[in-house]
Amino acid sequence: MYKNYRKILISLILPIVIIIFWYLITEGLHLVNPYILPGPIEVCTSAWDLIVSGKLLRNTIDSLFKVFGGLILAAVVAIPLGVLLGWYKTLEDLCSFVISILRPIPPIAWIPFSILWFGIGTVPAIFIIFMGCVFPILVYTIDGVKRTDKVLIESAQTLGASDRNVLTRVVLPSVFPNIVSGLKVGVGIALMCTISAEMIGSSSGLGYMILQATSRFDPGTTVVGMIVIGLIGLILDYVFGLAEKRIFW
Amino acid sequence: MAIEIKNINKSFEGKKKNLSVLKDINLKIEDGELVCLLGPSGCGKTTLLRLIAGLDQPTSGEIIANGEVVKKPSGDRAVIFQQYSLFPWLTVLQNVTFGLEMTKKGSKEENIAAAERYLTSVGLIDFKDSYPHELSGGMKQRVAIIRSLLNHSPILLMDEPFSALDMQNRHNLQEQLIGVWKRFENTIVFVTHDVDEAVYLADKIVILDKNPGRINRIVEVDIERPRKRDSKEFIALQESIVDELDMGE
Repeated sequence: MYKNYRKILISLILPIVIIIFWYLITEGLHLVNPYILPGPIEVCTSAWDLIVSGKLLRNTIDSLFKVFGGLILAAVVAIPLGVLLGWYKTLEDLCSFVISILRPIPPIAWIPFSILWFGIGTVPAIFIIFMGCVFPILVYTIDGVKRTDKVLIESAQTLGASDRNVLTRVVLPSVFPNIVSGLKVGVGIALMCTISAEMIGSSSGLGYMILQATSRFDPGTTVVGMIVIGLIGLILDYVFGLAEKRIFW
Repeated sequence: MAIEIKNINKSFEGKKKNLSVLKDINLKIEDGELVCLLGPSGCGKTTLLRLIAGLDQPTSGEIIANGEVVKKPSGDRAVIFQQYSLFPWLTVLQNVTFGLEMTKKGSKEENIAAAERYLTSVGLIDFKDSYPHELSGGMKQRVAIIRSLLNHSPILLMDEPFSALDMQNRHNLQEQLIGVWKRFENTIVFVTHDVDEAVYLADKIVILDKNPGRINRIVEVDIERPRKRDSKEFIALQESIVDELDMGE
């Protein structure tokens, strides 16, 4: 318990130092123009306004909706596909070239087509998030299937399991930890994609809020948006980390 | 007759030439017999067991088990592996009933009742809700044996299942194995490199040579059970086998 408090205290030192330094160079000693870098008090005022007006909550929910929409869609496609590709070698050989070419394309590069195909709004954003998340989840799943302990598969076979049962009752639970790791990587990418997509092809969400604020000379709101994105990432990472830890096999 | 092995040859493809692992193996195993395959490492005894199980295919020859040519793994020929092979995401009870679920024998209640009865008989009932990682090595192998027994596989194929255990545990499990074998009258093929183990367990010891693996001699063991390790006939048989066995690496 003491160690925990100590850890929390130490991890708080640097943020406090940064805030003090930030305050000093901006609102304290006026070394930096507030249009270039707003001070902490201005950011707090912006934050308060955003909270009271409900704008922050609305945009956060909007962004989270896209994050999970894209992530879930990607998982629904990538997990079954990954199990099949990992299990049937021929199928993997068939798809490997296409996957290897599509995978390194940054999801942002799909923005032109997403606007062309889906216009402006939530759908194109979800499409981009999908493109960003689908490959990490797919690759983690394929890898997990291939690493399934051969002894477990053979045990199941000699206990009378059919091929389908081997796949659903042995391979699937055995790749579950890999899938969670894939989702953890995916959710980070999803958050990044969401903000980028909102900045270019959207009319709502935290990314849109940040960009709008900058064009209205309201850098305080921009900073609030950035901090909220960081916090969301932190929380999601923590939640998926917990899920990873709860798996004991 | 439980198992008939006819003119089995098995070679693995190498880079330059094929490596012959088993050469002209002919063997008959009667119903309810406990046969040990004994030999130095590299004599192909595990390969032979895997062929009987249907986990690998012979290069030539055929194996007939319970009147049918072995083509693929089946619930009729359970394998107990050297490595621990319990499903880590299932509890002991769920592991034990896995085979019954696969082969759709009995109702759920009946299966659980039978599993609990079996677990009680080997003193593991208190661990029925534990997960495999909470068990010791000897307990894991006992659960694996129960899992196969409960499935009523007429043939049990055991690949050095006790080799990872300390001597005390090993002797204990050998004794228990004899107990369940007498009760269930399965046919057991037991692979080992331990002469003491073979002499203690077997009705018939099949001594294999290596490079390539072939049958050197078949020893009928007439010592009455329960066998005493310090009896004259036990020691005499053990010594005669050790003398002729080429255990050199």
